[in-house]
Amino acid sequence: MARMTEKFGMAAAPAAAFALLAAAIAALALSIPAPARAAQGRTVPDRTLGVVYADGRQTENVPLYRLEKPSEELFISAFDLARIFRATRYWNPGTRKLILRIDEDRFLFTLDTRVVLVNNEPILMRIPVRYTDGLVMIPLEFISGILSARTGGKIDLDETRLVMTIGSPQYNVTGIEFMDEENGSRALISLTDELLYHADSETPGLLRLKIYGGRLNALKISATRCKGLFNRVRAEQAEHDSYLFFDVQRSASRFRVEFVDGDRDAGREGQLVIFLEKGDLPEIPEADYAGRKMTEIIEEDSRRPGFDLRKIAIDAGHGGVDNGKIGDSGILEKDVNLEIAYLLKTSFEDEFGVEVVMTRSGDELIPLGRRAEIANSAGADIFISIHCNGWFHPDAGGFETFFLAQGRSEYDDRLAREENASLKFENPDLKPGELEDLDFILWDMVQNEFINESSALAELVQRELSEEIPIRNRGVKQAGFMVLKGLKMPAILVEVAFLSNPEEEELLQDRSFKAGVVEGIVEAVRKFRGTRSGASSNER
Amino acid sequence: MRKTGIGRKIIFILLVVAIVAVMGVLISRWVRLREEKPPAEVQSVPEGTRSATLFFASRQADGMLSETREIAVGYDIENQIKAVLAALIEGPRSGGMVSAIPAGTKVLQVFWVEETQILYIDFNAVLVSNHPGGSTGEYYTISMIMKTIASNFPQVRQLQFLVEGYPVETIAGHYDVNKPLDIMTWK
Repeated sequence: MARMTEKFGMAAAPAAAFALLAAAIAALALSIPAPARAAQGRTVPDRTLGVVYADGRQTENVPLYRLEKPSEELFISAFDLARIFRATRYWNPGTRKLILRIDEDRFLFTLDTRVVLVNNEPILMRIPVRYTDGLVMIPLEFISGILSARTGGKIDLDETRLVMTIGSPQYNVTGIEFMDEENGSRALISLTDELLYHADSETPGLLRLKIYGGRLNALKISATRCKGLFNRVRAEQAEHDSYLFFDVQRSASRFRVEFVDGDRDAGREGQLVIFLEKGDLPEIPEADYAGRKMTEIIEEDSRRPGFDLRKIAIDAGHGGVDNGKIGDSGILEKDVNLEIAYLLKTSFEDEFGVEVVMTRSGDELIPLGRRAEIANSAGADIFISIHCNGWFHPDAGGFETFFLAQGRSEYDDRLAREENASLKFENPDLKPGELEDLDFILWDMVQNEFINESSALAELVQRELSEEIPIRNRGVKQAGFMVLKGLKMPAILVEVAFLSNPEEEELLQDRSFKAGVVEGIVEAVRKFRGTRSGASSNER
Repeated sequence: MRKTGIGRKIIFILLVVAIVAVMGVLISRWVRLREEKPPAEVQSVPEGTRSATLFFASRQADGMLSETREIAVGYDIENQIKAVLAALIEGPRSGGMVSAIPAGTKVLQVFWVEETQILYIDFNAVLVSNHPGGSTGEYYTISMIMKTIASNFPQVRQLQFLVEGYPVETIAGHYDVNKPLDIMTWK
């Protein structure tokens, strides 16, 4: 019996062990793979939503899910939604609630519920929020029905094509139309603000218009049909500025560009008008055409009658304790700047017989504001600041020319208003007409009066330098440079080359490279003088 | 036979135990399913996360590139801005991007003035003293911060740079940052 029992006992023990083992395995099998399955076998996306951002983020495809087949309703995961709209997410597992904060709005979702609380105000959706495979799923109608209404047209969701655009860019160059007239043709470009522009026709048959700070829909403008002397228009949007290129007929002899103010009350936008003048001569034969360029019609009143280049201010950047950029070989930007400035001084004196004012003559630190004072009090006719560039990576290279960005911030406007309000308070007898002449303008705004000339000089310098020096042309740019503020004359700043780029650092120590820089700037000033002074108006 | 009876009883009890164990696991799993475990990415950061787009420059300094990241943030805007700036200062994770913020730069304080919509960011002196120079370098130092703030905090209209508590004329000798800069018109 005892043996039997023992036998049985021995048989019972493995059986129990087996049962426990089976239970343990079952438990393991059921509990462990659960998260793994959630990670791998996530609900398969049924469609994708193309998301286009206007803020510079890469366009992307975001998965959408049909959770309640056969219903066509699409869902987006709360994770993707939060990422796209930069929401802050809060989750409460106890109450099964999810909060998304998008900008200033708070959206509270409850799982399996159709109500969304928008800043504590309930809004009903057609279908409820769901939860599946570790994801909170929000019906797409939340975007089209609730969110887009709260963001003031910043979201454009095309539900048939499944494309969403966020933060559509605001264009300030809004359209173009053409008119043909007896003596020429006009292109009328609509602008929402008065923008600075530069037009030139360096290549025969092509007119280039650069609009500083312009933002346009290049496809729309390029698709516009031309008329008259305009054959074709092509628009390009660069990072900061817009470009328009016009193919023009050969019988166009001269062009003129002007800004015509809009009338806000009448709902009319400002316009940039390009006028192409028909030449008196018949079309020029092919053989003679190559070297023929259009010339710009310059109105007499746009010239400064007294403009005569007698004095040039040269500003060598940095100095004293301020070394500027330091090259890998140890050369200092302040020294290179001063050396080029002196070469330029000699060249200006020899070529034009003008007087040259140096804002610093040695290795000393002159405050930025003081440099403008030196040039202003000397009565200089143009101001040229010489700098070398620097970057955090050796790859960047090239030369660029700057003129001052019209810094009209709200802050400036507010200050100017306050100053002028106190002026009116102090002089209550003044008539409104007299007031305008007496209005203070901010010191920083003084340069604005010369902004067109500064941009023309910058374009000339950039073009001439590209003929002289063998490095990348980075173009003309606008910037809020301290040293250019308050200058009462056309003023530019030239970044000659990059000291952070080993090849250019070597060039900056090369005599012929520096001679090329000087030659380019001198040529540009020669051309600038030619277009601005009344005496040489027949030269063109 | 009695012994066998006891043996059967033991087997029976063991089977019951096994069944209970299996049931228990099943029930606990079912309960857990009902509880709906929160999505992993939300659960891990209970105080809230947000995605932030950070702007860096290209290697040739001819434009800006962005990177979108998930960042753990606090609730109020000042802490959110601090967290986003800390991620920006940390630098890019993708190749081909360059940060123009000098090594060692820190944000000391962030002040948000709701009435004027001006954001004040106070940096340590390293922003200026460790800046390698060059107007392009300086441009992108300012632009990285301006664009990142503009893109993630639309309520900010103007930004004032401060260094150790005070406004400075420039960071590296070119750009005037003495006054608040307009976030939307900066380019």
